[in-house]
Amino acid sequence: MTLLVALVATTLFIADSMKAEYKQDIQTAPDIVVSAQKALRYKTIDETQAARFLEIDGVSNAIPRVWGEYYFAKGNVRFKIVGLDEFENSTNSTLNRLRDRLSYDTNMMLLSPKVKAILNKNYYKDYFNFILQDGTLLRVNISQKSIAIPSIRDEYLIVMPKELARKIFAYADNEATDIAVSVKNSEEIAFSARKIAALLGNAKISIKDDLIVEYEQMYNYRSGFFLTIFIITFFTFFVIIYDRLSGLNSEQKREIGILKAIGWRVEDVLKTKLYEGLIISLFSYSLGIILAMVYTFIFNGGILKNIFLSSSRLLEHVPLQFHLDYATLALLFLISVPLYICATIIPSWIAATVDADEVMR
Amino acid sequence: MIELKNVVKKYANGVVAIEDLSLKLNRGELIVLKGVSGSGKSTILSLIAGLSKPSSGDIVVDDKHISKLPDHFAAAFRRDNIGFIFQKYNLISSLSVAENILLPLYPLNLPKEELEPRLQEVLNSLSIEDKRDRKVKDLSGGEQQRVAIARASINNPNIILADEPTANLDEKLSLAFIKMLEGLKASNRTVVVATHDPLFFDLESVDRVIEIRDGKVV
Amino acid sequence: MIFLTPEVSVIYILNTLFALFSTIAFVISLKIVRGYDREATTSKQYTLEKQSYLSATIIKYIFYIKIPLMIFFIFTLDKISFILPGAMCGAGVVNASIYAIPLLFLKLLNLYLFAYWLVMQKEDMRKEEQPYVITKFQLFLILYTLFIVEIILETLFFGSIDIKSVVDCCGAIFSHSDDTYLSLLLHMDRVWLLSIFYAVYGVMFLSYFLKQRYIFALINLLFLMIALIALIAFFGTYIYELPTHHCPFCLLQKDYHYIGYLLYLLLFLGTFNGLVVAMIGFDKDDIIKRERYALFFNSLYTFVVTLYPLLYFYKNGVWL
Repeated sequence: MTLLVALVATTLFIADSMKAEYKQDIQTAPDIVVSAQKALRYKTIDETQAARFLEIDGVSNAIPRVWGEYYFAKGNVRFKIVGLDEFENSTNSTLNRLRDRLSYDTNMMLLSPKVKAILNKNYYKDYFNFILQDGTLLRVNISQKSIAIPSIRDEYLIVMPKELARKIFAYADNEATDIAVSVKNSEEIAFSARKIAALLGNAKISIKDDLIVEYEQMYNYRSGFFLTIFIITFFTFFVIIYDRLSGLNSEQKREIGILKAIGWRVEDVLKTKLYEGLIISLFSYSLGIILAMVYTFIFNGGILKNIFLSSSRLLEHVPLQFHLDYATLALLFLISVPLYICATIIPSWIAATVDADEVMR
Repeated sequence: MIELKNVVKKYANGVVAIEDLSLKLNRGELIVLKGVSGSGKSTILSLIAGLSKPSSGDIVVDDKHISKLPDHFAAAFRRDNIGFIFQKYNLISSLSVAENILLPLYPLNLPKEELEPRLQEVLNSLSIEDKRDRKVKDLSGGEQQRVAIARASINNPNIILADEPTANLDEKLSLAFIKMLEGLKASNRTVVVATHDPLFFDLESVDRVIEIRDGKVV
Repeated sequence: MIFLTPEVSVIYILNTLFALFSTIAFVISLKIVRGYDREATTSKQYTLEKQSYLSATIIKYIFYIKIPLMIFFIFTLDKISFILPGAMCGAGVVNASIYAIPLLFLKLLNLYLFAYWLVMQKEDMRKEEQPYVITKFQLFLILYTLFIVEIILETLFFGSIDIKSVVDCCGAIFSHSDDTYLSLLLHMDRVWLLSIFYAVYGVMFLSYFLKQRYIFALINLLFLMIALIALIAFFGTYIYELPTHHCPFCLLQKDYHYIGYLLYLLLFLGTFNGLVVAMIGFDKDDIIKRERYALFFNSLYTFVVTLYPLLYFYKNGVWL
């Protein structure tokens, strides 16, 4: 039974941990991201629009962002390139730190360790030649430092001055990938978003809050998996327990007969048996939780983690954060302990109502 | 006072253990129920203790119609008024002496201060205080016998019932046992012994010998 | 079933379990009500007696799990409110389904009834004549039906929540400007409301001293209703420090230190003890004991609930 609790607990813990981490990451995302569309497909946005957004009450900042992906053929991998401007403040503090590390007058970019490794393998040590849209090469120097921040999503990350990024993506001077808008009062995000929508008819506007809800829902859908696990757990409980307890052996029967002969009532026997069940289940529950915690946070979730990570190409050896959600604990408790006790009710009762005199012949 | 009135006991498998039996036992008496195995004497003890209910007839113990009581109350009555000594002692071997003796009182959840003096008294009266924490399975036959008696007397019962108590004992131990039973009788308790051990039949302290055969008084 | 968060799944699983076991208890109760005869010495009677223990244990079990489950249920409502557009606390979720109000009402009723059954059981087992041996099972027959209805409602409730339709939050539901019954109550004159509240409270004490247990019970019933109304209409606003916030659910959130749980608990304990004195033939001492419990918990409730406006006044110098 401990194993079962541990199993379910682990899955839930991993889920919670990732949810928590995602939520944390989300916090650094901009409140609103505005991008342009043409025929409902993505299109670059005009960065002068940012000035219009700033006129809206409540908008504290509107930064045009330049970022995208670059396909490195030789290594068969896509790099994520983020362009940073020397004087711009991003909502993401990590990016701000990286921005300070760039040097803006030389042609230089910062690589994440993975990018560095793969470029190195292809003999690009001090510089790299980007192939531009028009076929020409753009040589960019590789910084000695590398990005040493553990974050799940940005494994093939390159950070460079905005202008360089523009060149690589062949953006015109006023083109940007999207515009990140910050709203002073978080309660007003939705409202500001509507105002922006009014300004730009066919833009796509993503709100941070929606992302959170969407993600929650995704996790809950994954709970479809959980439902299956639950059901299996459910049946297993009953099977194990019934098997164990039904069919009292004669030794046990004799003992109960003795107890009744010396004055124990049916209730007394029942109570004892049920307490026994309670203690066992509480113990298993605690043990299961501890095991799950060890498995999730020290051994990093192993196989079960992949249930979640399969849909996005994500790293595996990133340590999961320690995150304890009381609600999850309560949930696990409600599944395990009542079920166990429930399964012991009938067997305990059968034991308690054994006919004492028959047993002692 | 114990009274059985026209009691019939039929088991589920059709066996008639007791047939129209009437009996009256007075307080402070030492009664021997004499009969071979299967004669029904053990059943009579069960009925007196309220462990089983008669198929018909009435059983009155100390003015209580225990045959009509639901298990709940019959068991409580048994706990408070009756001490049972079994043929094979029926102690719980994995528990210690003290635990076995206190077993009848467990459900009452009495505080330690109350239990301790009673336990001491009983241990002393049977000279087994030094064995108090030993596991029962480590004791000799004679010692186990004494624990059994201790358990039967911890609740200060008015009635002691013993079912073939000397069946597994040699003569020396049997006589020691009889002495202890007499001691119990001396404190004005009713003692009923069901046995076919002839040692009991000629004792001075025995008030009556009732012979049971095929579920009827002879 | 649209809604399959882990929390709801747990509730469904436990409900299934309960349904199963309570049906067993129901079957036993039926047999007992039809054929229990204390005087009989047949083996059928003995079997029934044994089964009555099973029944009692099952009912006890369901009750003891139901309590944390109710708290969990409310917590789940709260959690759902985050996903439901427009809802900011349980009240919004309640508004999202027509089954919600009857469900809540039934849950509360069942809580009282189950507790009542347990008290009856305890009393029954104390006396040798077992005065309630059949009554308690008759009661359970009714209880069972209500319980099954509750489970069905709960299933329908969760199934009917549509995450795509917007609901009102409690601000809209309990506003002053509607013409629902609710707003009628909220519109009631403050002074009247408080006077009735404290008056009922006072009469409770009076009936205690006059040893009128039936009146005591009646007063407790009144107290329950008045207390809830007063809570929503008046005291709640002081807990929230907002004259228009009338929601009974937001009290249960972290922002207000979960005070709602305490208040509802006290109210339940108080009124339950008060009501039960009229429904069971307790001995004199027990009646007094229970009445005292009732008074104690109800007083505690009144005290806590009065504290809020007083503290507010003390801090701010004005009333809301």
